[in-house]
Amino acid sequence: MKLFRLVVVLLVLAGLVAADGLAQVPSRPYRIYAITFRGMTDVERGFQDYFASRRIPVQITFRDLNRDPSRMPGFLEEIKRTRPDLVYTWGTSVTLGVVGTYDAYDPSTQITDIPVVFTLVAAPVLAKIVPDLKSSRRNVTGVFHVAPTEAQIRAMASYRPFKSIGILYTPTEQNSVVVVDEVREVSKRLGFSVIAKPLKLDSQKRVTADGAPEMIRELKQQKVDWLYLPPDSYLGTQAKNVIIPAAMNEKLPTFASTEQLMETGALTGLVSRYHSIGQFTAYKAEQILVQKVPPAKIPVETLTRFSLQVRMDVAEQLKLPPPLPMFNYAELIRPGDTPAPTEAAGGQ
Amino acid sequence: MGTIRVRFILVALAVSFFAVGMSAFLNYFKYKSTIGNIVKSRVLVVGRNIENSVQASLAIGMQFAELAQLPQVMSREKSSDRLVRGIDVFDTSGQVIYSTDRTRVGQKVPGPWIGAAERSKTTEWASDEGEDYVAGISLKNAFDLTVGYLALRYSREEVERAASVAGREILLAALGSFFGIAIVAPLALIVVIRRFERDLRTLEAAATHLEDRVEPAVPTGSAFDSSIGHLRASLRDANRSLDDLRAKLDSAA
Amino acid sequence: MAMLEKNYLWRIYWRLAGVIMVCVVIALAVVSYFSHRVFDRELVPETQQKAATVANSVRTLMLKAVGYGVPFNELYGVDQTFGDVFEENPEFNYAAVTDLDGQLLYYRGKEPQGAREYFRSPMILAVGLDPSATWKASKVGPQYFISMPIASDKPLGMLHIGIDSKFVDNVLLEVMLDVVVVLVVSLFFTLELLNFMAGARLASGLGEFAQQVERMRSGDFTATARIRANDEIGRLLRRIDAAIDHLNVRYEFLVGELDDKLRSALGARREALKPAMAALEGIRSRYRFGSAPTNAEGDEMNLNRIRAPLFAFILAEEMTRSYLPSYVNQLLVAIPGFSPQIVIGLPIMLFMLIVALGQPYLGSWSERVGRRRAMLIGASIATVGFAATALAFNLYDLLVWRGLGALGYAMVFVAAQGYVLDRTGQANRAQGFALFIGAIMVATVCGPSIGGILADNIGFRAAFGVSAVMAMLSLLTIARLPTIEVRAPAAKPSRGPRMREILALMVNKRFMTLTGLAAMPAKIILTGVCFYLVPLYIVSIGNTSAMAGRMLMVYAVMMVLIVPLSASLSDNSMRRDRYVSVGLIISGLSGLLLLLSDSFLVLFGVVFLLGLGQALSIAAQSALVAEHCQEEIRVYGHDAVYGVYRLLERLGNALGPLMASVLVVLWGYQGAFIAISALVLICGIAFTIATRGLEWQQTVAANP
Repeated sequence: MKLFRLVVVLLVLAGLVAADGLAQVPSRPYRIYAITFRGMTDVERGFQDYFASRRIPVQITFRDLNRDPSRMPGFLEEIKRTRPDLVYTWGTSVTLGVVGTYDAYDPSTQITDIPVVFTLVAAPVLAKIVPDLKSSRRNVTGVFHVAPTEAQIRAMASYRPFKSIGILYTPTEQNSVVVVDEVREVSKRLGFSVIAKPLKLDSQKRVTADGAPEMIRELKQQKVDWLYLPPDSYLGTQAKNVIIPAAMNEKLPTFASTEQLMETGALTGLVSRYHSIGQFTAYKAEQILVQKVPPAKIPVETLTRFSLQVRMDVAEQLKLPPPLPMFNYAELIRPGDTPAPTEAAGGQ
Repeated sequence: MGTIRVRFILVALAVSFFAVGMSAFLNYFKYKSTIGNIVKSRVLVVGRNIENSVQASLAIGMQFAELAQLPQVMSREKSSDRLVRGIDVFDTSGQVIYSTDRTRVGQKVPGPWIGAAERSKTTEWASDEGEDYVAGISLKNAFDLTVGYLALRYSREEVERAASVAGREILLAALGSFFGIAIVAPLALIVVIRRFERDLRTLEAAATHLEDRVEPAVPTGSAFDSSIGHLRASLRDANRSLDDLRAKLDSAA
Repeated sequence: MAMLEKNYLWRIYWRLAGVIMVCVVIALAVVSYFSHRVFDRELVPETQQKAATVANSVRTLMLKAVGYGVPFNELYGVDQTFGDVFEENPEFNYAAVTDLDGQLLYYRGKEPQGAREYFRSPMILAVGLDPSATWKASKVGPQYFISMPIASDKPLGMLHIGIDSKFVDNVLLEVMLDVVVVLVVSLFFTLELLNFMAGARLASGLGEFAQQVERMRSGDFTATARIRANDEIGRLLRRIDAAIDHLNVRYEFLVGELDDKLRSALGARREALKPAMAALEGIRSRYRFGSAPTNAEGDEMNLNRIRAPLFAFILAEEMTRSYLPSYVNQLLVAIPGFSPQIVIGLPIMLFMLIVALGQPYLGSWSERVGRRRAMLIGASIATVGFAATALAFNLYDLLVWRGLGALGYAMVFVAAQGYVLDRTGQANRAQGFALFIGAIMVATVCGPSIGGILADNIGFRAAFGVSAVMAMLSLLTIARLPTIEVRAPAAKPSRGPRMREILALMVNKRFMTLTGLAAMPAKIILTGVCFYLVPLYIVSIGNTSAMAGRMLMVYAVMMVLIVPLSASLSDNSMRRDRYVSVGLIISGLSGLLLLLSDSFLVLFGVVFLLGLGQALSIAAQSALVAEHCQEEIRVYGHDAVYGVYRLLERLGNALGPLMASVLVVLWGYQGAFIAISALVLICGIAFTIATRGLEWQQTVAANP
């Protein structure tokens, strides 16, 4: 009798162990529906790599807008039909297309009941995707990629301390105006001065780069130590040909707030690696899919560690070598280096 | 007299043994832990160089499992300090992915290593269980997730040899002081005990003369003089009363 | 007269202890000197080796920068790198880079004397130019230098790192603190050991001698049937006994002779015997002869024997105070629904609870079984408890073993108390308890500090092992207690308080004013702060168990110094409630010190004030029960009232860690200190208000 009971107990235990083991492996892979804006980027590669390294089986269906918003309704309909476990959206416009703003979305066409994780959105609160970074209060969460303004300012200071910085910005881009305000706020707290000059508007109230070199000269005369380049689309188009050369002329170091601006030839900048962004997005997706955490409980975050990039040829020209500790952790770009695998232009 | 003296001297010896022993013990352990820390931080300097390289590679988007340059960096760093026996990089499940020792790749690291890494409040950790000491650094990615660990194995010998050399010397110094005390303290104690014993001796001497009818010659100056005086006085009075009774009895005969 | 002899002996002890301490200090100085030499000889080369490794790393970084095209003498931020080096390696105090001519390019730290000449010396310059050189160690005055060449494809310059020779001194300074603790503890050990090894017989012998002198002065020549030891005092006492015997024999003989003569005498002979009879009457009125009644007043010689076992046993438990919470933290198992802080407090709470609940009932048990046997059983159980705690697997079995230890502790404590009660009468009871409390307080001074040092150096488990050994040693001393049990003359069988009584007293306003507003808060802050908050907080900020032990030692020293003082003061002043109030308020202010400063050194002030406050209130508190609750004592009886008082007071012991842990969860460690102090402060103020203006019945201090 005793032996029989022992055997039963052992079998039950074995069964529990087996069940527990089985529970770890899902019976089928998770299905993710991913919408990109301009094809595969490093973000998607990072996204997939994360699942691979964590050995989580996923089946990702990629759909590309190819910069054509008219394709969106078709994708939305496919989502509603195939009902994937998770939807992945790349960039602000794609995300807005799929989930709408938090105060005005259309449940009949847009997605509300399937979790959505967005990536590479520059300013989720400003874009009204989420009311607050702590919680979207709906089935949405995601990752934004622009380093916090204060982190950028501190990175600038760690390169060379400063008392005053100058900014050129596009007054009609709301993004830019907000960032300039943020810089002013940081300046009050950290104790430096900001001189921000809006680019001129032409007769049709469109922004133009006329007079930008003169503005830069003025800034130099006003004794700014750095020229800060905010995440500003128009500025990005003018940086390479107008802004950077003028700054170099005035021997003014430039700090880029995004990787495209960095590409245009700024001295240094704080960038987030798309690959890491993708991995972080996958991390959020894992929390939703595997740990079954509702998206409303997952905060919208960005990376904790950004890459500090330094252009060595610019540094040499300006005679401003990076401080010695930076050689340990900064990414030092020499002319002729193959550009590190990020996207050259177009990021949102 | 002997027993008290002996007993007090035993106390002196026991306490000195405790005090000298404890202080030798403290010095030895302090030495050992200081040397241990110096050696560990030396090893960690090497570790941090490797960590920088890993972080730089991760930062430009390379996969943790595919850091091609890492073995080269590791063997270069290992040769920069003869103390380091071997360097391993292992993932969160404990499996070695890169190592300066080919045979270790694919094996599991000892359990205490991961435990120490998880318990540590910073990215640095250490463990001294097992045959080698190990100092390690936890490798975190761009969103602070631990992707793996770096472990540098170094020989216990350096620390233990140094500790045993020091230990021997400290022990010798302790033994020397202890024997010094064993000689000096009893002598010093005896000076105090002598006064005490003298007092006790007067007591004992007085005790033999307790029933003397004669007054003692000179007070000896011991602390018990007055007591002895009282004692003798009481006995004398009682005896006198009894003498008186005797006399009365005799006279009545 | 008796006092003279008592003081005399302790004066001898202090003199002896002084001599021993002087010798010990000299010995410790010798050990320190040699340790310093060893440290110097061995640590310096190791540090130099580390400096070489660090320098190599800095050199590689500089070469990397040069490789990226930055000219060697235009590097920027080299001093920042040096600053990082200093932060990670406090032994280094200077770093510099020189060019091929020995001129300073970059540096950080205070330049040592002779550095410039050293940099320019030909030997060093030669190293700079030698591509195969690794590194060179030199000594320039009190400073050690490591110099290594920096070369890419051609020599560029040299890197120097300076090691402050004082760092060896600093390392040893840290040891010094612990050595001072060892010294203080050694002093107390010496006194206790002297008392143990020589004292019992000596002290009691001297006491007896004094007693005999007094008795004989008052005419009492009765013979005491005592076995005398064969030492100096014993022989003296024997001679006194002999003298008394002679007297008795003479007396008996004379009485016998007189009786004979009286019987056979008639008439005139009778008359002749009258003077003799008158003389006999005179003798009988002034003196007493015969045998003394068996001692009803207690057993003073054996009373002293309790000190050594009590000291050893309590020491074993006190040693664990400074590191038990950290050990629990290590074995922690997460219990769902409870924060880890609260779980850490569980073993301490359980211990206090078992001691509190066990005490009333163990008293009568130890009476039945015999005090000595009860203590043997208790110490054995506690030894097992300590040993098993050392081997504990996780939190759950730790709780079991600590419970066992609590049982043993309660048994020994109550039996020892009973032992003292048995062997003292009304007159010397206070003295007896002074001895009892004294032994405990000395153990509280020595235990936590030594325990903390042990835990830091040999680990928690081994330290518990040492406690187990200590408990075993106490077993040996308990075995030396007299096996013959003595029953105190007026003793009634004691019993635990009944539930009815407990409930009735708990709703009694007068009783609860004292118990709830004074006694329990005092215990709550004591165990909450000393047993829970201090050890955990100190370790949580990265400091050592030895530091926690030192703080608890400060508390114990305050108690040792101030309790006797406050006891006599409050007895004399008869306004015991004032002492309790002031004591409570001072205790309540202690934790508030954390509002002033963040530094952990403030904690020394906290335990100082806590010790002061507790010392002031504790002596007066228990006597206050008799004064304050006259009515209740009349209704329920002395035993019951005191029984409930003690029970609730000890429940306060158990509540302390619980409340402290909850407060930590709510407000963090500093908040917990402040909150628990504020609570006690409020209770103290409430108590003051409640007892203000009350009529006080002056009574003699009642028994605790």
